Amino acid sequence: SSHEHKLNFKKSKELCLSYIQDAMLQKQWKRAAEFLTCYVESLEKDYSREHVGPSEMIWRIGTEILCHHSHSSMKEFSCFMEQMKTLGVKRYLKVCLEHVFHLLCNGQIDEAYQNLSLAESWRFGEQTALQDKEMKLIQAYRGLLDYYSWSKQKNILLEHSEDGFTDLAVEQEMHGYFRKAAVNLKEIIKIPGVWDLFVKCYVDLLEFYGDHNEARQVLNEYAYNSKFPANPNAHVYLYQFLKRQGESKKSLISALKILHDIVPSHELMIDFNTMLQKSKKRKKRRLGLEVIFAALDYAGWKENAKAWSCLARQVKQIVISEKHLDWIKQEWNSRKDWWPAFHFSRYLAKRNWQENKSLSYEKALVAGILLGKDCKYFKHVSHQGCKAQLKRFRMLRKFVKRHNPVYLRISG
Amino acid sequence: EAAAVPVLLPSAGCWIPSPAPQDILYRSGLYRKLRAGKSRATLDFARQLGHFFVDHPEDAFGSLGRLLHKNFYLGNSKLKRPARNSTIRMTALVEDIDRVEARRGCPRQHLASRLRWFSHLCRDWLFEVPLGLLADCLHEELMLQWSNLLFDDSLTGGALAWLPPGDGGTHVGRLVHPGGQAMNHLYFQDVVLEELPRTRGSPAQFELSGRIRQVAAARVDGEDFVGVRSDYHCGVWRVPGRMGAAPTPLQVICTDMRASCLTVSPHLPGELSICTQSGTVYLWNVETGLQQLRHDPQTMYFRDHSPWRWSDFTAHPRVLSCADRTGLQCLDSRAPKKCHFDLFKVGEEAGCQQGERVVLPMYLGRAHPSQYLVTTQFSVYVLDERLPLVPILKWAHMMKAPPLFAHLMPGDPGRSHKVLLGASRTQELLLLQYQGGSQSACQLVGTPQKLHSISGCLQHLPTQLPHRHHLLQQRLTAAAAGLAATLQQDGPRESMLVFQLSEAGDVFCQRLTHEAAQPPAPSSRDEATTAPGSSPLFEAPASSPQGLGTAALRYRRWLRALSRACREPPQHSWPPSLSQRRLFTRKELEGPAGPSALQKQMRQRLRQAMQEGGRIQHWEPLALQPPPLPQTLEPAGGPDPLSARLTAAWAGDWEQWWEERTSFSVAQRQRALRERRRRQKRARGRRSLSASFTSSLTYQSELSELSDTGPQLLSPGRP
Repeated sequence: SSHEHKLNFKKSKELCLSYIQDAMLQKQWKRAAEFLTCYVESLEKDYSREHVGPSEMIWRIGTEILCHHSHSSMKEFSCFMEQMKTLGVKRYLKVCLEHVFHLLCNGQIDEAYQNLSLAESWRFGEQTALQDKEMKLIQAYRGLLDYYSWSKQKNILLEHSEDGFTDLAVEQEMHGYFRKAAVNLKEIIKIPGVWDLFVKCYVDLLEFYGDHNEARQVLNEYAYNSKFPANPNAHVYLYQFLKRQGESKKSLISALKILHDIVPSHELMIDFNTMLQKSKKRKKRRLGLEVIFAALDYAGWKENAKAWSCLARQVKQIVISEKHLDWIKQEWNSRKDWWPAFHFSRYLAKRNWQENKSLSYEKALVAGILLGKDCKYFKHVSHQGCKAQLKRFRMLRKFVKRHNPVYLRISG
Repeated sequence: EAAAVPVLLPSAGCWIPSPAPQDILYRSGLYRKLRAGKSRATLDFARQLGHFFVDHPEDAFGSLGRLLHKNFYLGNSKLKRPARNSTIRMTALVEDIDRVEARRGCPRQHLASRLRWFSHLCRDWLFEVPLGLLADCLHEELMLQWSNLLFDDSLTGGALAWLPPGDGGTHVGRLVHPGGQAMNHLYFQDVVLEELPRTRGSPAQFELSGRIRQVAAARVDGEDFVGVRSDYHCGVWRVPGRMGAAPTPLQVICTDMRASCLTVSPHLPGELSICTQSGTVYLWNVETGLQQLRHDPQTMYFRDHSPWRWSDFTAHPRVLSCADRTGLQCLDSRAPKKCHFDLFKVGEEAGCQQGERVVLPMYLGRAHPSQYLVTTQFSVYVLDERLPLVPILKWAHMMKAPPLFAHLMPGDPGRSHKVLLGASRTQELLLLQYQGGSQSACQLVGTPQKLHSISGCLQHLPTQLPHRHHLLQQRLTAAAAGLAATLQQDGPRESMLVFQLSEAGDVFCQRLTHEAAQPPAPSSRDEATTAPGSSPLFEAPASSPQGLGTAALRYRRWLRALSRACREPPQHSWPPSLSQRRLFTRKELEGPAGPSALQKQMRQRLRQAMQEGGRIQHWEPLALQPPPLPQTLEPAGGPDPLSARLTAAWAGDWEQWWEERTSFSVAQRQRALRERRRRQKRARGRRSLSASFTSSLTYQSELSELSDTGPQLLSPGRP
């Protein structure tokens, strides 16, 4: 019966697809291509309502095969892409983007640009929301390529100006690229999303032309608009911009404070800590201690010698001045049940000593103050250091022994 | 050609395969016909209940069986007068049951009244467990088994772990795997990494009180901590780093609800996390005990019926991730109620499909401290805790079954990280490589690759006898139960060893050797890909004839051990508990006296045909040959109906022709029917009563034939 026939057709379609998949996963591109030519027949009766229909399958699989097949060429690839563009109207823009990426990966920037322009002028029926977004993406990538041309011209111009003459034509062209790029880049970063690359390029353009207010506004919007995902990079860009602008310490600190709240393990936390340690305000130094303790909570920082030296320096300062020992006590309270096993085990003492002497020095100082002179880590490292007759370690031993009462006050 | 090679010999004692769909589904020809086109499965409840009664008579009828056995008579002879008052003859009942059995599939199963009477009488008191209660329990169990067959998430995480060699740089690692008939033994087996990994010495063995579902391991401070999860117990072992040191059990906890997850902290020694199906998450420290972090039977982001929960560690040793089918959240164990954030949500942010659900989350700390892997039945996601909810990598894996196992092999700086994904039921194994995440964007490197599954080696094994082949096939296609892998460097040669565990307890392994990518390939700008060179067994013999020999030997030894293990006779552990005087009559036990006349005739014909070298045309003796096909009925005289109709249509009075024809055929058939009924009535008087049933049936079918119209009606055999 026809029902059975349909079932069988569906079954053989699925079987064919699984053969293709099998061949692709074993890198048998030729075999996969042969099966794909059979699979094309499934387009004939495409009743499927699956998430990914056969025509999309053919596009995706075909692209993958052509990327890896030993006999394929760029020309063939482009030809296939053109066919795919006509196969599904709803997918036209997506296929275009994919094609452009492939061209860019193969260094054919001009062709990519042409393709983007073509796609931009494409119209079909009423625009859906999805199409609208895809169109914005196409425009944004064209803007990116314009930015690329702009920066190339800029470099030529900078070289020429070193030689002492200006080329008006090149300058004109450069401004033209700027206008085209700026229009498109500005559009895409209005949509909530992660647009790191586009934002960076746009800000670069604005800064070159001295439009710092617009740049600041863009970065603030990107960092603080709650519709956007909480993107730590947005705050990093803002901080870097403020730094370039020579802004006050206060605004830099407030930018980093937010970054600290979102990602306490960010690399910039070392800069943040040094900035805070230098501050005259007590509150800020207190925050600095908090920041460095929080960073060292993370597994990725375990062997970061710089971070440990920051902590060691601040702890040493506090111990010598004998003021604000309660700060250390407070930070230590929430960590004393797991830091000893996490940072100061005998195994780590041995390994740190073998791999990085200065790391083990800084850690031993912190361990000696937080856990007393009998702690395993301090004992092992100072013993090894004295055995190796390193002056630094002998001083360390003396320092910790002299300040042992501090440990009692912290732990008590 | 390459394939996976067995690492361990099959353990003694026959393996009990887990139930297959055909074991618990209702199947009969009639049923299939009735439900053609409908895909809903129906569980065969009655058969399972029957199995229970037969397999566990003591539990089903023990006490009353003992009380009443004097009143049940199993012999064949007639009962005498005084005994008849207090004893029933069971033989007749058994015969009735057999008759019912023979009529299976008949749409009108007329149960013998005697059976009905008996069951009515004793349904309430005969059973040890009240029948309704037993049926409820059985039904629940059947449903559970069926849903497990569809998707068994208790295996999530996998029950195989590889403990790499310690810092000493030796080639001896340890494989931690379950074994035994009930998979309730935990083994720590030393394995030497050679061309083909080989076991060394006998394993350290622990017997546990439940089937091992998951084995998780992590190395902290040079010591391995191995967590083992069974349904209601979780345990932790410590394996010291130095060679040959024995593993020591540290602690066991028992849960009221089934545990669904156990992960070992990569940060702190002796710390684990546990989830139970009631939605409770615990942080378990061997020294300080259990700390409950969350208790919420509801799912996090939207409603989902699955009680499965998972948790893992994150970059911060005090922050744990909790997952259910709808997504992941991170909790700070120091203030679990207050401090939490969403890490992954099934929904728009991640571009999920409809019906997509989380299958396995995994912390990728060894690759990058803040990266996380989430697999669903459709895709694989890599997430970064620092930018939650937006995946930094997504790839549709297109695996046939959801990936329940994953294994990470971190690459050195500048090299790709390798992730293995494994499915259970289909034994699929997939290798992905990705890089980036800190300085550059995260991206896949090269194309994903399919690895060999255990069942793939079946075609390379020597040909077996059909039943052996079947057993072997059953064994090798058993669902996968775990996955482990390790990278190995031998001078310039780099390779990857992948171990796969099956539900039958077999561990197979394959080796992939590293090949530097050819520079001119423009699209794949990756520094390296791994190609399946696999076990040297099936590589070109010239390359390593020695390896070829060892692998073939490995197969032979494995096969021999398997056949030895399965040859043991099955042992019936329970004695028959009913006394019986006689179960079979003498007549029944009597074999056929000798070949019947028909058999003799057939033999003779066979012999003759063989002598002549010809073939036998009719297997049936001539007398039993079906009658020749009757001619299709035609209206008496006249040309064939088609030409008559065409002529009529040509003449213009087609309608009248049709009228005539239908009235003719109906009238004719009615006449024939009346005639037959009359004949039957006459015959009924002579026949026994039982025949009336069959004749009435034919009458009915005759009627139903009449009610239809169409050419098919002209069935053969009509008068």
